Amino acid sequence: MHLRFRLILPLAAVLAAIMVYPLAFSGWISVHDYRLDRIDDVAFEGIGNYAFILTNPPFWNALTNTVVFVFGAVSIELALGLGLALLLRRMVHLPNTARAILLAPMFITPIAVGLMFRFLLNSEFGVIPHYLAALGIEVDWFGPDLALFSLILIDVWQWTPFMVLMFLAGLEALPKAPFEAARVDGASSWLTFRHLTLPMLRSVILVALIIRALDAFKVFEYVYAITRGGPGDSTETILFYIYKTGFRFFRLGEAASMAFVLVAVVLVLVIALYVAMRRRPGQAP
Amino acid sequence: MTCIRTALTRTALAGVALTVAAQAAAAAEIHIIIEEVPEYDIVRTLTDRFMEEHPDITVTFDAMPFDAMRDRILTSSLAPSATYDVIIVDNPWMEQFARAGYLLSLDEMIAAAPDFAFDDFFEPLRDVATVDGTVYGVPYYNYALGLIVRQDIFDAAGLEVPTTLDDYVEVAAALTTDEMSGVAMQPQRGYKIMEEWSNWLFAAGGSLFDESGAIAINSAEAARALELYIQTYNDAAPDDSVNWGFDEALRSVASGRSATMLSYNWMLPTLNAPGGVAGDLAGNFRLHEVPGGQAVLGAWFWSIAANTEQTEAAWTFISWLTSQEIDTDRVIAGGAPVRSSVANDPAVWEAGFGEDYYTTVQGILEDAAPLATGIHAEEIIEIVGTSLSAAVSGQTSVQDALDEAAEGIERIR
Repeated sequence: MHLRFRLILPLAAVLAAIMVYPLAFSGWISVHDYRLDRIDDVAFEGIGNYAFILTNPPFWNALTNTVVFVFGAVSIELALGLGLALLLRRMVHLPNTARAILLAPMFITPIAVGLMFRFLLNSEFGVIPHYLAALGIEVDWFGPDLALFSLILIDVWQWTPFMVLMFLAGLEALPKAPFEAARVDGASSWLTFRHLTLPMLRSVILVALIIRALDAFKVFEYVYAITRGGPGDSTETILFYIYKTGFRFFRLGEAASMAFVLVAVVLVLVIALYVAMRRRPGQAP
Repeated sequence: MTCIRTALTRTALAGVALTVAAQAAAAAEIHIIIEEVPEYDIVRTLTDRFMEEHPDITVTFDAMPFDAMRDRILTSSLAPSATYDVIIVDNPWMEQFARAGYLLSLDEMIAAAPDFAFDDFFEPLRDVATVDGTVYGVPYYNYALGLIVRQDIFDAAGLEVPTTLDDYVEVAAALTTDEMSGVAMQPQRGYKIMEEWSNWLFAAGGSLFDESGAIAINSAEAARALELYIQTYNDAAPDDSVNWGFDEALRSVASGRSATMLSYNWMLPTLNAPGGVAGDLAGNFRLHEVPGGQAVLGAWFWSIAANTEQTEAAWTFISWLTSQEIDTDRVIAGGAPVRSSVANDPAVWEAGFGEDYYTTVQGILEDAAPLATGIHAEEIIEIVGTSLSAAVSGQTSVQDALDEAAEGIERIR
């Protein structure tokens, strides 16, 4: 065997053990009626599991909730993160202190954030409803109409700092010359932002969006700690649904097939996002 | 000379082998997965006593929240040898775990210990522990539901504690003021709403399945139970509490914001404990049977993992801890009764929480029924609990919710 192949052999072996084998085994499980409480009685199902989940309304409901959550949370985080990063960059007094405070939510474990907001937003004991009531505002945060939106807001609270961090790094890496030229030419702040900052930040925005979107697709802890997917099924997300099917109801074959469908959906969205963001302004699709 | 040397060597080797075997026997160690609840604190204290009396057995606990337990039990049960030699099993899991082969039959061990008096455990608890005539668990503690009320409020208002569903709906509404809700409900989707509403279902004369085993969740009785439940939620529960579970309801009652709740019978000592969660309100709470008389039964059981190598030590521990003598100490320390003789013991009444509490618990346990049984119990609870939540939050009508629940159960059976 050639040296170069021998050199990559250890890495290939590690990758096979930790990625290829589990994925292949998951694929095998997804085409079988594999139940954890009947592990000696596994029957081949073919595309049976896939056919079932694709015609199963709770699966589509969970997927729809997740997509709404991802688009809602990531869009707000993008806008807020960019705005805060621009403000922080211009901050003169105590910029490092402000950055440290702003980044703090990111370091709290999501399950703790979920439990925290479960009680902060509680209608009877919560601090937030208490002060809102003093202003004459009453909001049913976890009612059927607002529960998913409340989870989005919690995610925004926790993960906007990540966007800030990414955009601050991006902004500080931008070359100064084009901005100085624009100032000399008398360009307004908006024009400078629209035609210089934003285009030059495209690659940073793309990376931040992909990382946050992939992470948001995995939303589980807030649902687990706060709503359990309710009221009804209004906050049931896909990962919570997969977890329940696989590990609470022991139907691992069905859970694995859902996971593969989810991977396909995420892949399509990421590629679409990548293509859209890589296209230069004015370039034909 | 050679013979002597050989004999000496063999003797020495035999000695070493015996020593190793003796050490192995002496060093029996059992690992137990357990839920981190007040009962665990009592068990841990008793276990110290067990290890003093049985220096050859070491017991270690892996205590964790309820939500983490099922995954761990599953992993341990599927492994070639057990991580956990003793498993505590919740009642909806019993049949599924037993049929999956995760649990060891306890029949022979119970039969070999006549003083153990297995028949002394309350019958509904023994029924849950028995799958196809084989016993797989020994009751640990019960969490059957009762009606916990602020007795001082009832007495001051001259109100009788409700014994029927209609009375409960009426009294809960009558107790509701701007400062206080009549009832702290737990309509959180899934297990919580199912656990609470099933008491209403029983009181209305309904059930999940009829006597022939056919699905009966969309019966007229179930519809009435759900309509009354929703009416009470709208009229007498705290505002915007559709997502409330146990923690929120307990805080509401303990802080004087709600007058009643349907909750675990062992919450009474917790609420009445001086300096406890209820502060100055401690002593004002009283336990009654749920309206309608038949409560939802919840219980945990001690079971031995089928893949353990420490069967003998595990049974020694379980049979010691659940013996009449030690169970008496557990209940006096605040544990929820599982043995009839212990709940009827005047010494327990005196040293524990009074005759009234224990006789009420007995009344609750005599005819309590589990939420769901069978290998699909966990999933049935989730399906019905989701539909109920949708109805309570106004996303669907009562009959549509119950029909949807019936279809869901049919799909998985």
